[in-house]
Amino acid sequence: MDDPHPGERPRKKPRFWVEKNEEPVVESVHPAVTPLHVNVSPSPSPPPPNNEAPTDEQPKVEDSELHADSITDGFDTGLLQAVVGELAPSVLQILQRRSNNDVQRAINLYLDGSWQSAPPSVTPSTSTSLPFQTRLTNGLKRQDTEMSSISTPDSEASSTPMAPILKAMPSKRYIGSFGAVAWATRSGRGLLQHAEKVGIERSKMKEYPTKKRAVNNKKQDVVVRFTNAKGEEVGRLENGFAAWISVLIDQKLCSFEGSCVYVPDRLKTGETVYLQLQCFFVRSAFDKRKFVKPDSNRAISPFEELESRDEKDLRLRQVAMVKLFEAINLSPSRNNESTEKHKRQGLLQAAESAESKEQKEKTKAITSTLPGSSPPSEENEEGEELEQDQLDSLYKKAQSFDFNTPTLEPASTFSMDLRKYQKQALHWMVGKERDEAAENRELSMHPLWEEYVWPTQDADNNPVPTVDEQTMFYVNPYSGELSLEFPRQEQNCLGGILADEMGLGKTIEMLSLIHTHRNSVQEKDSTVKRLPRLSKSSATVEQAPYTTLVVAPMSLLAQWASEAEKASKDGTLKILLYYGAEKSANLQKLCCEANGANAPNVVITSYGTILSEFNQVAAMDGNRGSHGGLFSLEYFRIILDEAHYIKNRQSKTAKACYELSATHRWVLTGTPIVNRLEDLFSLVRFLKVEPWSNFSFWRTFITVPFESKDFLRALDVVQTVLEPLVLRRTKDMKTPSGEALVPLPPRTIEIDKIQLSQDEREVYDYIYMRAKRVFAQNAEAGTLMKSYTTIFAQILRLRQSCCHPVLTRKKDIVAEEEDAAEASDLANGLADDMDLQSLIERFQSDGEQDANSFGAHVLKQIQDESNSECPICSEEPMLDQAVTGCWHSACKECLLNYINHQRDRNILPLCFNCRNPINARDIFEVVRHDHLLEEDSLQNSIESSSQTPRISLRRIGLAGSAKTQALLGHLKAERREDRATKSVVFSQFTSFLDLIEPALTRDHIPFVRFDGSMSQKQRAIVLQEFNESSQPYVLLLSLRAGGVGLNLTCAQRVFMMDPWWSFAVEAQAIDRVHRMGQTKKVKVVRFVVEGSIEEKMLKIQDRKKFIASSLGMMSDEEKKLQRIEDIKELLS
Amino acid sequence: MALPKRIIKETERLMNEPVPGISAVPHEDNLRYFDVTIDGPSQSPYEGGLFKLELFLPDDYPMTPPKIRFLTKIYHPNIDRLGRICLDVLKSNWSPALQIRTILLSIQALLGAPNPDDPLANDVAQKWKEDQNAAIETARQWTQEHAKP
Repeated sequence: MDDPHPGERPRKKPRFWVEKNEEPVVESVHPAVTPLHVNVSPSPSPPPPNNEAPTDEQPKVEDSELHADSITDGFDTGLLQAVVGELAPSVLQILQRRSNNDVQRAINLYLDGSWQSAPPSVTPSTSTSLPFQTRLTNGLKRQDTEMSSISTPDSEASSTPMAPILKAMPSKRYIGSFGAVAWATRSGRGLLQHAEKVGIERSKMKEYPTKKRAVNNKKQDVVVRFTNAKGEEVGRLENGFAAWISVLIDQKLCSFEGSCVYVPDRLKTGETVYLQLQCFFVRSAFDKRKFVKPDSNRAISPFEELESRDEKDLRLRQVAMVKLFEAINLSPSRNNESTEKHKRQGLLQAAESAESKEQKEKTKAITSTLPGSSPPSEENEEGEELEQDQLDSLYKKAQSFDFNTPTLEPASTFSMDLRKYQKQALHWMVGKERDEAAENRELSMHPLWEEYVWPTQDADNNPVPTVDEQTMFYVNPYSGELSLEFPRQEQNCLGGILADEMGLGKTIEMLSLIHTHRNSVQEKDSTVKRLPRLSKSSATVEQAPYTTLVVAPMSLLAQWASEAEKASKDGTLKILLYYGAEKSANLQKLCCEANGANAPNVVITSYGTILSEFNQVAAMDGNRGSHGGLFSLEYFRIILDEAHYIKNRQSKTAKACYELSATHRWVLTGTPIVNRLEDLFSLVRFLKVEPWSNFSFWRTFITVPFESKDFLRALDVVQTVLEPLVLRRTKDMKTPSGEALVPLPPRTIEIDKIQLSQDEREVYDYIYMRAKRVFAQNAEAGTLMKSYTTIFAQILRLRQSCCHPVLTRKKDIVAEEEDAAEASDLANGLADDMDLQSLIERFQSDGEQDANSFGAHVLKQIQDESNSECPICSEEPMLDQAVTGCWHSACKECLLNYINHQRDRNILPLCFNCRNPINARDIFEVVRHDHLLEEDSLQNSIESSSQTPRISLRRIGLAGSAKTQALLGHLKAERREDRATKSVVFSQFTSFLDLIEPALTRDHIPFVRFDGSMSQKQRAIVLQEFNESSQPYVLLLSLRAGGVGLNLTCAQRVFMMDPWWSFAVEAQAIDRVHRMGQTKKVKVVRFVVEGSIEEKMLKIQDRKKFIASSLGMMSDEEKKLQRIEDIKELLS
Repeated sequence: MALPKRIIKETERLMNEPVPGISAVPHEDNLRYFDVTIDGPSQSPYEGGLFKLELFLPDDYPMTPPKIRFLTKIYHPNIDRLGRICLDVLKSNWSPALQIRTILLSIQALLGAPNPDDPLANDVAQKWKEDQNAAIETARQWTQEHAKP
């Protein structure tokens, strides 16, 4: 209400209702209001519609007074009217009757409106912002209905037969009337009389064409003025009315006439004036926009606004119409049931949200025009992004696939074998294309339209002119169109969305359709007959009844061509690649019907070609035919591959694709919704599915509910849209017999039992004892539930210490310790990570000394020996070569085992070779960098190829914890086996991933990382790199962030660094790799520390206790109890 | 328990590249148990004799040395009546880098070079020190009596 609108009426206290008793105005209002309605009842003559007879005023007042006086037996009408205002006698009667002569009750009845529940109720106004005005209009209406119901007996006979019948639609036709509130802009006496006819006009009609300014202004000009009979301006309508009335006038839909219902004798500026307005639909409203097909709209504006001007006009128009129908209380006599539910409410809501958004955009626009910031790009998209889980639930709804759907064998010219689900797809697709039912469908109303009956009487029950054979009119509240003709439902979509997940063979399915449903050259007559209404939208567009146009991203063109070749028996399918230099001179001539025998069956082109030809055609003023290219034909079928290329309906590519004509339209995409519901709209728009291809309709029922967090409703609607249109199967789907759609390669899971090192074990034992003590203390004191968090934290510590002791300690302390150790080692000349080459160089540079030259010799020996047999276990080559302080090599594990063996027997460990004393601290791992890809060395080409592979020595124990070392061991081993293998490493502790990272870096194992802290965009980049790179990447993935949804089929190894409470969660993570699209064997390694809490967790997993809790079937309290039970077991 | 790779490799190598004068054949029912024969080294009192030994690889082999015993009676200061052998590499000087082959070679060498200063059979060592020729003669006789192929 507190709108800073400049044209707003000056704020003034609405004295009129609040201070009833003191204000003389009150007294004068009601006699004036009441007779207006009362005088209708006798209707002595059929007066002109909007001419209230002022002469009737006096008698009627007396009449009402008479009534008021007469009802005195215990029912104080004076009190009643003093409180609620003057009432019509009939109302008084009803009130008295219903309240059983109890005045107080009557007042309540009146005020809450329940007194009139019996007569047809009046739609309550939605506008809560105008309480007193609303009450007034409602009051007027109420009396209206009351009056007319009383007056019908005598008015009937006199009025009805007098209505003239016209042959055709007049220039304007009465639609209804309503009370409106206005205020004076002038003061003076005798400016306006009661019942005087007033004119309603827009203040600045001339400015409408330059509306661009209005759009840019924050507030639109809505001023509507009214004039007296002399044509002098008296005042303006209240904003609540003016807002929509101005639109109706501006958009030349309606005209208004009015009469004054109440005006004070002496008018002061700002004072309230009541008007009765009659609304007429203008003739032009019906023919101007009659069935404008959206696809004839060729406007290409390079700088499309977020909401274009047309869209904004449309939105205003929608709101205005809804408000109008509400005001005149006219409801449709027939409309589409499915859309009925939230229709008007939805429209208003949609408009409101658009408005608020517009304002947001404005502020955004202002900030973005600041210097330095980039201008809004064309790719700007609207709509909120969908969260992953929303997307999941949406797809879940959309992909209820019935495995019993019939199958169809492909035509004999198709040379490939189809799987069962592919034959089902073929059956479905052919069914969609041959939708004969659509042709025979009985005349049903278009789902977007509503039917209304022209009123035969005006508000005063005076007949209005009717038109011969035009008793109805039709309104499309979504497009704001009006029509006098019956809007027939058209079945436009003879195609659909094939949204099978990647890897299920969409291309093959489509090719089988191309083979199976095609026009043969002979039966061309029947073809033409079958497509009559599609002919000649432009005279120069030729039919291409034998051609399917495939539009695909540039990179897939060759693949399409070769697949099409492969799938067809020789000579059964003519394929034409149409892009770049290979464009034939005139596609139109080639593909037209006359050239049927030679026309290519499949034309494959790219989105880029479409766009460039679209621009050419647009430059030729849309003359498709003479261009002779892609747009000069009406194809039998169009297939858009990877159709999310057109997900942005504002993009030029999308608009170009909308312009392609064809009988059958298909889109292929694995992701019909990438991240916004609008993505789907563009597909639907391309498919020309009524009613959803109307953006306003879409916004109303899908975008707006979704943005206002009404997810269920929005998704529900999306489902209704998708269900008949979409066929989607996912790789995870199982047939009823439990088989996967496409059988998966085998998967092995092995558990790698990890031995903690001495130091790690000590840390673990310490934490274990502490946890056990805390648990025991609490169990004794009976405070287990209270100290649940503490205990749980201890358990967490314990689990972390299995991964890496450092996880359990404060980071800064650890860092200090490491620094200190490093410093002392450097002092001793034994850096922790010695580069062997540099070591050798150092020894060689001062090679005079025997000891040093021996050292250099041995170090070279190490390099040479690395492929020889381990002296201890005879493994050849050694597994993880390690050297003693005296430079003798063996497998790392053998060496450590040996040292431990001797130590356990209290024997001083001696070198197995030279019998010098050795100790575990002076064992060095030999780190070979030969598991790196060839490419790496190729990059440093010549110099590295001649060199020996880089080797470095690293003191054992610094590669990290036992688990990280085990992981590195596995990764390196697998790299030796197959250089291209990619691996996924899951851990639930991102801090553990932090520790694994440097270990991988040190060993030159390339990796990428994916966790919950990354933005959607970063995640996409990481996944793309992991998927597409030829490097043997390792993907570090947090269990929580990566457990669901991701497709990591490019990897063949999964490492689970730590067990989770429920194996189901782990299994889900494993399924990221082992899912449809996986072509190789998958090996899963689960690391479990021997003799630790992790082993016990496995036991708990086996009992599957946690499944219930992880599925959310337990309350929090129950979960806690359950956990405590488990913790008891863990610490046993 | 599966046989460690090392044992398999050693066995294979003993079969494929036998050491002259030495043979070691595992039992079929226990691959850690070997029947061993060693030819007496030439120019020693054991020349011409064929000595049988048994060899057993314990579970923690090669962390611990194999257990070896002469089955053939032999007159030698470092080998006792029960056939037990006194040899440093079979005890404190064992290294996991040593193998069956090297150990058997060491034993063969021991036959060629008895060491009465570190005796196991004290009476034999005594004899050897007092009258080396007589001791050698006894050894030769024992070889003729007990170690005839």
